Amino acid sequence: MKVFLERWLVPLILLVAIAVPPFLSLYPLGVIIGILTFAILGLGLNIVVGYAGLLDLGYAAFFAIGAYTTALLMVKAEASFWAALPVALFLAGVAGVLLGYPVLRLRSDYLAIVTLGFGEIVRITVTNLDFTGGPEGILGIPRPSLFGFRLDSDLSMYYLALALVLIALYFSRQLAFSRLGRAWLSLREDELAAEPVGVPVLRVKLMAFVMGAIWGGLAGAFFAVRVGVINPTSFVFMQSVLVLMVVVIGGMGSLPGVLLGAAAVVGLPELLRSLQDWRFLIFGIALIAMMLLLPEGLWPAPRRRPHPALFAAALEEAPRQWERIQRELKGRPQETGKPLLVVEDLAHRFGGLKAVQGVDFVVPEGQIVSMIGPNGAGKTTVFNTLSGVLKPQEGHILFAGQDIKGLRPHRVAHLGMTRTFQGIRLFGSLEAYENVLLGLYPRQKARVIESLLHTPAQQQEERESLKEALAWLHFVGLGDKAGYLARELSYGDQRRLELARALAARPRLLLLDEPAAGMNPAEKEGFLTLLEKIRELGITVFLIEHDMSLVMGVSDQVLVLDQGRLIAQGTPAQVQADPRVIDAYLGREEEAATPRGV
Amino acid sequence: MGRHRGKWAVLFVSVLLLVAACGGGSGGASADTIKIGVPVPLTGDYASAGEAILNAAKLAAQEINDQGGLLGKKVEVIGQDDQCDSQVGVQAAQKLISQGIVAAVGGYCSSASIPEAGEFAKKDIPFLLDASTNPVLTEKNPGTVFRICGRDDEQGPVAMSFMKDVLKAQTVGIIHDNTTYAKGLAEAARDAAESLGMTVVLFTTITPGEKDFSSTVTAVKRADPDALYFTGYHAEGGLLVKQAWEMGLRAALVVSDANQDPTFLQTAGSAANGVYVTTAPLAEFIPAAQGFVQKYKDTFKAPPGGFSVYEYDAMHVLLDAIKRANSTDPKAIVTALKETKDFPGITGNITFNTQGDRSDKLYMVAVAENGQFQPYMRIVNGQWQKVQ
Amino acid sequence: MVYWQDVVQFAINGLTVGSFYALVALGYTMIYGIIRLINFAHGEIFTTGAYAGWLILTALLGGFLPPYVGIAVALLLAMPLTGLLGVGLARVAYLPLLKAPRLTILITALGASIALQNFFKVAFGAGFKTYPHLLGRLTWTFGGIQLKAEQLVFFLLSLALMALLNAFIFRTPLGMAMRALALDQDAARLMGIPVERVILFTFFVAGGLAAAAGVMYGMYYTQISFFMGFLLGLRAFTAAVLGGIGNIPGAVLGGFLIGILEAFASGYLGGQWKDVVVFAVLIVVLTFRPQGILGERVVERM
Repeated sequence: MKVFLERWLVPLILLVAIAVPPFLSLYPLGVIIGILTFAILGLGLNIVVGYAGLLDLGYAAFFAIGAYTTALLMVKAEASFWAALPVALFLAGVAGVLLGYPVLRLRSDYLAIVTLGFGEIVRITVTNLDFTGGPEGILGIPRPSLFGFRLDSDLSMYYLALALVLIALYFSRQLAFSRLGRAWLSLREDELAAEPVGVPVLRVKLMAFVMGAIWGGLAGAFFAVRVGVINPTSFVFMQSVLVLMVVVIGGMGSLPGVLLGAAAVVGLPELLRSLQDWRFLIFGIALIAMMLLLPEGLWPAPRRRPHPALFAAALEEAPRQWERIQRELKGRPQETGKPLLVVEDLAHRFGGLKAVQGVDFVVPEGQIVSMIGPNGAGKTTVFNTLSGVLKPQEGHILFAGQDIKGLRPHRVAHLGMTRTFQGIRLFGSLEAYENVLLGLYPRQKARVIESLLHTPAQQQEERESLKEALAWLHFVGLGDKAGYLARELSYGDQRRLELARALAARPRLLLLDEPAAGMNPAEKEGFLTLLEKIRELGITVFLIEHDMSLVMGVSDQVLVLDQGRLIAQGTPAQVQADPRVIDAYLGREEEAATPRGV
Repeated sequence: MGRHRGKWAVLFVSVLLLVAACGGGSGGASADTIKIGVPVPLTGDYASAGEAILNAAKLAAQEINDQGGLLGKKVEVIGQDDQCDSQVGVQAAQKLISQGIVAAVGGYCSSASIPEAGEFAKKDIPFLLDASTNPVLTEKNPGTVFRICGRDDEQGPVAMSFMKDVLKAQTVGIIHDNTTYAKGLAEAARDAAESLGMTVVLFTTITPGEKDFSSTVTAVKRADPDALYFTGYHAEGGLLVKQAWEMGLRAALVVSDANQDPTFLQTAGSAANGVYVTTAPLAEFIPAAQGFVQKYKDTFKAPPGGFSVYEYDAMHVLLDAIKRANSTDPKAIVTALKETKDFPGITGNITFNTQGDRSDKLYMVAVAENGQFQPYMRIVNGQWQKVQ
Repeated sequence: MVYWQDVVQFAINGLTVGSFYALVALGYTMIYGIIRLINFAHGEIFTTGAYAGWLILTALLGGFLPPYVGIAVALLLAMPLTGLLGVGLARVAYLPLLKAPRLTILITALGASIALQNFFKVAFGAGFKTYPHLLGRLTWTFGGIQLKAEQLVFFLLSLALMALLNAFIFRTPLGMAMRALALDQDAARLMGIPVERVILFTFFVAGGLAAAAGVMYGMYYTQISFFMGFLLGLRAFTAAVLGGIGNIPGAVLGGFLIGILEAFASGYLGGQWKDVVVFAVLIVVLTFRPQGILGERVVERM
């Protein structure tokens, strides 16, 4: 039954959608066209809210821009619908940039109000301008023609709407399974972790706004020719709210959910029409009840799996793929022993607190270097300045001969330095293999247009990436758990997954922030073996750790940080013998050894 | 969750099919009643006005039914909410058409009436307007639109002429609320003022839904016009008048017909005294309408709205046309409506010109006194004269 | 041409409206601070207060109490009643969803807003209700500037309520619990703070403040409707964000700022550009200070 449904459900719905409407009367057809219009809007907002997790309360602005552009071109310039449509999409996209750019750095709740303001500004402006027809709007927008036939009947408009929904649906799906789509999901899951993983957060956010805006413009263009009259009352704040409801009721990020959500948001009040005054009261209560019963929406986004056969094949091939990666990595040109990372006179303050000052050190290529020090010594601050999360106030950071001080985290990742986090920061609702695929982001090349069209090159890249991601999972011992959601994994597995994600970028330098914290002795043993293997791959490792036996056993060099200053560095033996270290740090071993992060 | 999901999805698909089925089922017009559609706002800001219009239509239908109906059938009034929104308006009109109406009588906001008129015209269904005063409606008349109320471009000149000839104003200020109706009226008034040789010293806007106009009043005081014309709706009008009075505005106040609503008087309180309103004749002014007003109050336990009487007249004009056509075929009704001549409505004798507007000039000036609008002056032979 | 009298007058007008915005904005900011929810139904809580005050003043008193006593009674009854509605709403619609995806609870709030709005419409009709004109129209005029007695009374009353709230939050154990909750819910729970009760109490206080604003608003403008909370709620929310959402003095500052901005914009540019000015200022401020005027920068620990 299930298989039957999965195979035949979509064609069946499509058949019904094509064959039944000619038998419908005007009113239900009108309602269904309304639902389809909202479905396009919902698919667009789903990119912004459902994929990228950006709360947009001014989405009606793009709907308005699409509608007004189309209407003005068709009425004033007597352009055909098909000539006006691309212009409408283009201008909506431009508006997406205009809205997106100033708000990129805002946190989500501020984003909500700013987008709301943007929506209101657009609406008030078209109300106040003369060429947009003021409050009266634009009248007499003609119906489009196709192959010489004017689409006069509502039935023909229905088929146009259906075609546009299918197009919007198709491209939404293409985007979901692409480099760009994955980057959006990483933003939604954990924006602060996405950037050091290599996702250019600001650019990707901007793309979400632009794509969402184009979908909104498409809906607007259709709306204008369908109703024939547009005026500012169709683009009020409540309209944006209704579209948001479509996305959330359906299930964020879920494409079938958007369709169901549109049916609910447009269809329900229509069904309740006979109740007159009571209908919106009931609608409001139904909305609350629906959310209480189904907080994830009517049709929550399904687990994201690539084609099963492809997945199985890649899984099968993982060990061999791993051999290949190993060969390629070992074949990279290396200057073992030469300084890979040079830090000079680094200083960073939080307000008046000097977290790090006057720190100088070198990490030579091919070594394992550890940094130790009591709690609050500034170790993580050093890591954050290296990976670009913080911009240090003073000093220089040279990585592979290049000054990287103040570069954004994703640039640092692209240059070959990736990291893990002290408190694990995985993309919890994504599967293990997708977390690793995101780690591959800096090495992938697919551009936006390729993500949209799934060109052969893009498909090739996706296949290769999947193989490599599974190979890395195999390497850290998670090969059989590739399909688990990251948040379902055990603590030790999450640590290993984070390691795989950082390794997938094939970095030259790997920063590990307390990688063994919370591991039991057996897990630590396994981790040590892994660390040795990573070094053999020619990847330099720089780690923060509290476990002295681990540090002293594996490190080529140890740095000791205390109260923001480097008080000693050298081989483990040298450091252990250093009186300052014994005094400042090892003397307080009891404190340092207390478990943390609990 | 997965267990429930399938169930819910199925439920929703069935809901969709239900929508389709309901619509499909009621597609054919049932023959035992004559159905008349009333598209008006029943939710949102203007819901109260919409309800007063729908009530008047129901009252007219009830009167006919009490006399045994029309062509041997009962008259049935069907209201649909258009929310003053163009898309919802299209849906409301389509819903009415699928419910088998032979004519539509109603409309409030021009922004919704205009697309509704287009939908009705596709089926040749006549649309009688009781309140939408935007000139476009009859200027681009598809031949099926008839208007019982006046037009914005008639009211504006009447207001300005009153200000110049009766109030002796040299300078005027005009405030609208940026809705289709108010802006159109304000612009018509501005053009009229200029052609009458008066100076428009202030032309500004407030926002519907707003409550605080003290800053707008401050700006008016600074511009210091002899008379001020407000063309927006009653809720804001009452507040504007009240706040202008409290802030000691000197200018004579004239407001448009959308303000003749109890809300205006109640909100403004004693500040309303002496405020002029340009209006088509109100039910209260017409001896012939007193029966209607009383009946309305008895039936709905509330006073009628400003446009109730036009809706009531529109209904009777329509029912008369159906009787003369002796048919419920929309085309026949349209033809009969065009032939309407001096129908004795309570707002005066009704004849349509070729555009579908009323041929007589409706507008006059009333004045608010002690919580009521009293008829004041009208133009007779080009001269302003007191109404007795 | 700019006249100083106009500038003063606009400021007076702005502060009056601003005090209503500020009282409602406090509710947005408190609720946001404690459960990170933009409570879209808060505008309707304000409407509830206005209707409650109207019912008390017209139906119960019938005007035979002296005006100022009547106002005091209306406020003292409407505030706890509305507060209880807020508590009920939170109990039914919000608390069960605290662990759900954050947008879910936002949609619930929107649903509550729609339901409440239409409840008032069904219960009291679509038309406007008029508050009794209780207060005399005492107005002081000096140098062409008008100051109404009502304006002064309501402004001072708002300030008093804000001062009371401030004292409550910073001087009482319950206020401290609220602040603790805002900082870290899990830690607060571990410290033995009854989290749900404190959340519900926050809704009670927020509802009470909104009700006070509703009653005063009703008396000042005399006109209330089922729709009134929508626009005002939107403005108050904007005020809360402008001041820095989650920050109590920020909400007050934001409220007054928006009131004043609106007054100047409608006076000098015309009412149609008022919201454009407000939102443009908001966007500019947030671009340079993403945390709002008084908000604190959130440092995330990696």
